[in-house]
Amino acid sequence: MKVVVFGMNHRSAPVEIRERFAVADVGPALRKLVDRPEIGEAVLLSTCNRVELVATTPNPDAAQHVLLDFFARELAGGDLPSKSSLRDMTYLRVGREAVEHVFRVASAVDSMVVGEPQILGQVKDAYRAAAEAGTCGAVLSRLFQRAFATAKRVKNETGIAERPVSVARVAVLLAKQIFETLEDKRALLIGAGDMIEAALIALHDHGLGSRRVVNRTRAHAEALARRFDGTAHGLDELDALLPECDVVLACVGGTGPILTRERIEASLRRRHDRPLFLIDIGVPRNIDPAVHEIDSAYLYDLDDLQEVADSNEEERRREVARAEHIIVEEREHFEGWLVALQAVPTIRDLTRRAESIRKGEVERFAGRLGLDEPRRELLEQLTRAIVAKLLHAPVSRLRDETDREAGLIRLEEARVLFALDEPAGSGGRGDSDEPEPNP
Amino acid sequence: MYEFEHIAAALYLAAGAGAILGLVLPAPRMLIGARIGLVVGALVQAVAFATLHRLDPPPALTDLGVAIAVMAWLAVVFGLILSTRIRLPGFLPALAFAAFLAAFGATLSGSGGDAATEASGSIPHAHVLLSSAGLAALGLAGLAGLFFLLEHRSLKRRRKLARRLPLPSLEALDRVNRVALALGFPLLTFGVVTGVLWNEARSGRVLGGGLHETWTVVAWLIYLGLVALRFVGHQGARQAAASALAGFAFLVFAVVGVGLVS
Repeated sequence: MKVVVFGMNHRSAPVEIRERFAVADVGPALRKLVDRPEIGEAVLLSTCNRVELVATTPNPDAAQHVLLDFFARELAGGDLPSKSSLRDMTYLRVGREAVEHVFRVASAVDSMVVGEPQILGQVKDAYRAAAEAGTCGAVLSRLFQRAFATAKRVKNETGIAERPVSVARVAVLLAKQIFETLEDKRALLIGAGDMIEAALIALHDHGLGSRRVVNRTRAHAEALARRFDGTAHGLDELDALLPECDVVLACVGGTGPILTRERIEASLRRRHDRPLFLIDIGVPRNIDPAVHEIDSAYLYDLDDLQEVADSNEEERRREVARAEHIIVEEREHFEGWLVALQAVPTIRDLTRRAESIRKGEVERFAGRLGLDEPRRELLEQLTRAIVAKLLHAPVSRLRDETDREAGLIRLEEARVLFALDEPAGSGGRGDSDEPEPNP
Repeated sequence: MYEFEHIAAALYLAAGAGAILGLVLPAPRMLIGARIGLVVGALVQAVAFATLHRLDPPPALTDLGVAIAVMAWLAVVFGLILSTRIRLPGFLPALAFAAFLAAFGATLSGSGGDAATEASGSIPHAHVLLSSAGLAALGLAGLAGLFFLLEHRSLKRRRKLARRLPLPSLEALDRVNRVALALGFPLLTFGVVTGVLWNEARSGRVLGGGLHETWTVVAWLIYLGLVALRFVGHQGARQAAASALAGFAFLVFAVVGVGLVS
């Protein structure tokens, strides 16, 4: 039984294709998939950047056809690309590659934004949905548990998720270098566009105290203020609001700076020079750059924030190499477990075969020798002890080898040497030709 | 005493190194370990002070090494207390290294009885303890000021913003500065007052006119001005940081440097 991953992601297919494969209710589709003999277990991961099926199969080649067909028939909505172009946009990972891929995805190493925190939650949701649908068995359960553990290790042992890579998060990071906490801070938002909203969401997530939205069009300010539990104001109230705010975000259309050095100096005097953090994400800029020269004013524009974000992203990419080491380690652990799992039937077959031979021979000889019950019991004990001692070494070796790659080869060898795949009675019957024991 | 002082110095050094590693890697457990190291170091140093009297001869009250060690110990205690209320990453390692240098330095300086300082009564002891406590608190204010200026400079220059070690926020450093100044100035004042009383008991005069006395009074007057600016004049945070640093440098010169120069 091999683990396979089949799917498409942000590198292999454009968003207009990926979005056609988004599935809301994965349960029925997954149940249909595992009904196919080529597929053992299945989990479907569907996010905005990837649609992937993680499955177990005894035959990866056959599974690829089944999974491609499943993508085309069950998952696709709307107009479909041809099957051949769909094949070009998808990928299949088998065995160790598939395991590492799942670990990479869960650890956000394979994400568009390396180290992003959302993917782990999405992988957990996908696993939960498959478990509820009953399509996730022992192998995939173990695989996903290891994937979650790997993600945790990668997060804790590398700096992959340390530094913010979005402009909005960088703004929060800078705010935290100025303020001890954001909870008692007041933000003044000049403008009500998407950029302001993104920055506001990031600040809101970090517990920003209260917000005042100022905009030329008061209705837009009111709409944004309502969503974030703030208050809306007109631009004419700016001078009254400035002294009571600690964070200023500006992104509003216009030709010249709205906040001049003199205006900021006047408001700082009224707030006894308590620090003021200003973020200017407007183009052209809304805040006079000379404001940064004032001691208690810390002004950053879009370029400053973007530079930090780019640098952090570069830092995260450097951490990928460390994450890969962890992924390989965890993949080896998982493979060890998988081989151990596969050793169980071999060991069981071996002991059954030995027991069957032992019983047959005891039966035969006890009849020939005309043994009474106590002697027969002695013979039973003797043969049981011999079989146990003979099997002890090979069984232990099969178990001990399970954490190595060679374990799989040894399992195969054991099956051939002990004729475990041949029908009972077809192998090891030379015993009838053995000389009869002396009475 | 010196065995305990050595152990305390080693613990401070380990705590400082651990905290730096914890910040760089970053490894939160290492930071917790460093904090524990600092606490244990402070406890061991307390034992070292408690066993001072067993030295033969016991160190004089004016022994510079011991005074610096007491000051460092108090600074560690103040710093640990403040860090329970204010987030101070990167601040404690600096404190730990400073405490290591002070504790280790105390073991290197010689000590011995000094008839002139073996005064009876509690005033000399109160003077040394209160002055050391004041210096420790004002030292913390100076350290916070130094950190503030470094952080402020980095934020103003907008350079290497992405690659900086996590340091305390400007607001946290300003709070440490304010609290330490509010605590340190009264302690220094009591130290000066008890010094005057001691001087009077010893020589019959309020001010001996010695360099140490004169410079210390000047330093106290400077701090009086700084406190007024800070708490009455609403001095800006950067100016307050620079003042705390400059004030402490002057105070150290007045208390220690003058004696060395003369």
